[in-house]
Amino acid sequence: MTTFSEVYASLRKKNRGQYALLSGCCFFSVLLITAYVSMMRSSTVLSVLPEGGDSRKQVMMIFVLAVIGCGVFTTYASSLFFRYKSRETGIYLALGASKKQIRTELRREVALISFGSCALGAALGTPLAWLIWRLFQLFIVDTSEMALSFDREAYLFALSFSAFVIVMLFWMLSRFVRRTNIIDIVSESRKSEPFRHVPRWYGPVGILLLIAGALLGYLTPSFCVLVLHWYPPEGLTAIMYLPAFFGIYMILLHTVVHGFSKNRYKHIITSSMMKFQGRQTVRNMLIITVLIAGAYFASFYTPMLGTSALMEIDARNVDYAFHYRADQNMITQSEISEMAKDFGVTITSFTSQPAVILGVDGMEHIEQKSRLGETYTKEYRELLCSDTFLSESAYNALTGEHVDLLPGTVTTVFDDNGNSNGMVDNEVHLITNAITGQTLSVTPVEPVLCNSMLFGRRVLDDGDYKKMSYGLTNEWQETQVFFNVETVSKTYPFAKQLFHEIVSRSGPEVEVYDAWDPIAQMRADKNGKPYELSNENLEANGFERIEYEKKDSSEFRLYWKYMPQFRVLDKADFVQTVAVFLMLFIFISILCFAAVVVILYTRCMTIALMNARVYDDLRHLGASNKYLYRVVKEQVSRVVFVPVLTGTSNIYAFYLLIMYFNDNGNLSVNELVGLGNCLLLVAAVSAVLYGIYRATLRRVCRELRL
Amino acid sequence: MLTVKNLIKSYKSGKTTYEVLKGVSLRIEQGEFVAVMGSSGSGKTTLLNCISCYIPPDSGEIGLGDTELTTLDEAQLAEVRNQKLGFVFQDFLLLDGLSVRDNIMLPRIIAGKVGPEMERAADRLCEVFGISHIRSKFPAEISGGEKQRTAVARALINDPLLILADEPTGNLDSKSARAVIDSFRQAKENLDATIFMVTHDSFAASFCDRVIILRDGVVWREQSRGKLERRAFQDELLSAIREMGEVTEK
Repeated sequence: MTTFSEVYASLRKKNRGQYALLSGCCFFSVLLITAYVSMMRSSTVLSVLPEGGDSRKQVMMIFVLAVIGCGVFTTYASSLFFRYKSRETGIYLALGASKKQIRTELRREVALISFGSCALGAALGTPLAWLIWRLFQLFIVDTSEMALSFDREAYLFALSFSAFVIVMLFWMLSRFVRRTNIIDIVSESRKSEPFRHVPRWYGPVGILLLIAGALLGYLTPSFCVLVLHWYPPEGLTAIMYLPAFFGIYMILLHTVVHGFSKNRYKHIITSSMMKFQGRQTVRNMLIITVLIAGAYFASFYTPMLGTSALMEIDARNVDYAFHYRADQNMITQSEISEMAKDFGVTITSFTSQPAVILGVDGMEHIEQKSRLGETYTKEYRELLCSDTFLSESAYNALTGEHVDLLPGTVTTVFDDNGNSNGMVDNEVHLITNAITGQTLSVTPVEPVLCNSMLFGRRVLDDGDYKKMSYGLTNEWQETQVFFNVETVSKTYPFAKQLFHEIVSRSGPEVEVYDAWDPIAQMRADKNGKPYELSNENLEANGFERIEYEKKDSSEFRLYWKYMPQFRVLDKADFVQTVAVFLMLFIFISILCFAAVVVILYTRCMTIALMNARVYDDLRHLGASNKYLYRVVKEQVSRVVFVPVLTGTSNIYAFYLLIMYFNDNGNLSVNELVGLGNCLLLVAAVSAVLYGIYRATLRRVCRELRL
Repeated sequence: MLTVKNLIKSYKSGKTTYEVLKGVSLRIEQGEFVAVMGSSGSGKTTLLNCISCYIPPDSGEIGLGDTELTTLDEAQLAEVRNQKLGFVFQDFLLLDGLSVRDNIMLPRIIAGKVGPEMERAADRLCEVFGISHIRSKFPAEISGGEKQRTAVARALINDPLLILADEPTGNLDSKSARAVIDSFRQAKENLDATIFMVTHDSFAASFCDRVIILRDGVVWREQSRGKLERRAFQDELLSAIREMGEVTEK
């Protein structure tokens, strides 16, 4: 060994662990961000996440959390690295090395670590995303829409994050070398963080802030829209959540410094050791809390959506339902019977009833841009949009109920549980025949009707129905068909064939989006304005076009206005229909959980590395291995369980809040069962995390020779 | 050799300023073995850190040979630390990843003065301090006394004008402490080294030619050993310290 570089090389070889830790953290962070962004920006995903839609916002929100988490984590790993480096640097300086010599050597090392690990992470990020996606395709579901394609722009994000990691490392290096006090540098690795007094009220106040922030953040947008008639900027919503964030911080700080135990002396060693690394510990715990919340938020999507959809399908009171406009050359009852016979399917009941499309009155939201952002005023319109109306006898024939309405009254069909799901209301006062201009004043009556298969339909007295449907042309008339079959679970081929037949018989005039409204279209045409939901304007407004050619795509099945509801088809194809959604959220949760595990492991290992001397001192003071094991266990369990429990319980409570308020303060049976399944998922993930905790604890104990 | 004139150094903590050295002056001759003693807070470590060029004094002069240290820039100070000073620390400050021999050669490697002569010098120092048998071992594999003797050898590799030692026996048992003091004496006698040692330990100080006692940031007394037996000199030091304590109490 004859050069200073060789001294560095020799020490590098001896202290491989420190280099591996920093390289590993940089590599993992860049890998995770690259994989995430590759998936988020892929056309496969973008095509199914509507622009401005909630799903895209959620994916973006979790991405931001992941970026913040990885950024803070990498900075933490870098500070640990320079902390380790400070002793040997102090010795070099004490022995007369110049800062230039040290800067040169450290620059070489940091360049090697940062460029190497970032390049590797960025290079493997996309293949990792592809690999996970392929595993989904191989073992879970594969549809034509899941064919993965990546966008080159994703690499810009990955490169930006890599640039952040590299710049941050070099900035820390230059700050490190600029320091002049050799004594401080030498003793840096043994220095504790300055301790700030944490009052005991931090715990309870933190809990209050957390609850207040969650409620404020969630309810503020609704309050602004419904009460103030103002669409608040998304930044405001984020600000409203800040108290929750501070609340979590205070809870974690309180837990680290004081713990929640009343017996102060029992935990005195653990608390005092953690207290003096409090800032770093709490920062790490906060990241874990946030990431675990993000991971669960993403992973709850599948059980909630799956449970809700499958239960809804199971609860249907009819096996096959479809509706079509009267101007369509649709398959007839006899043709359906023929087809059923060909497939060996026995139709046990068949009901077909007419319905009409009538204009209805309502309050129009007129949006204005002002200095405060977008606001709206409500103006009453006698003819606002359209609804599908059934006569009371048609409704009774379809459902077997005995509804009898008075003339001049109207009622609305909600779902089986009597929920409007925030999509309809029972507020109709004027009905208009769009062809003859005939109007009828009606009074909405309670109770509303409950039938998920006819959700959103309005029901009129037979006499009123007859009067209002008079003169309507075929395009304003519909037929609603319900039929049941024997052993429905074995009729999938028939269902598929019938669905294809219905599509092939539908003309281009009904190749429309679910929310397309003929009255709204008429009004837009009359005003000379483009109607955003007409097929030609869909893409410009961030929606996919509805195309018969793509009849098996999830977009078509989810959003075609005349999509049939066939129990066996919907159930069997459910996963395929929402495959990209489901797999994307599973993918995100896997990445977030992986990040949680890596951060937890690293943080726990630093307990061993940083406190080895303290454990030796305790041993010299007569502490038995049993006592020391208890102290280590307390520390590791605090680092693991506090953020995991905080993140898990808070996100679950928040999900509960969303489910409760998204339907006017109601929890449907489907939502309750979905939440139950989410609990099962939490139990399973918690079991895995517990296994990782045990393995980490064993490793820490081994490091400390316990 | 070393001349310190009216050295003043203070620290700030919040709005309060603590004056640690209040005008220390002293002189050390070539080949002298001098200790600085004093109670905690008397300023002995601060004095050593100023002489080591680790911290700059507020005012005063520090002359080492022909060089005035307080006027040097950072690069020149680094050169002084490397070429003219040798350091021995209480907790050894050896690099765990380097062998004993590599640790000893480190100041030469930093200076870029490498070659067979460097290796010969390291081997000679190992022999002088009785650590040849452990020269391939790593610090984790040797005793505290051996570590400190390695540190003394490292301090001498560049033939410095002055060795600065900060509590070199503070972390050692009595046997190892004796071995380290012996190695200082060997360095003085065989290599004509000049040694300036900060210590609490009257036993270690009793081996020195002269002891400077600091109190509240000024030189309170200087005791020369002269021809006294070591034990008698230690007794003298102890009574001086006792006297200092009494004066402080009054």
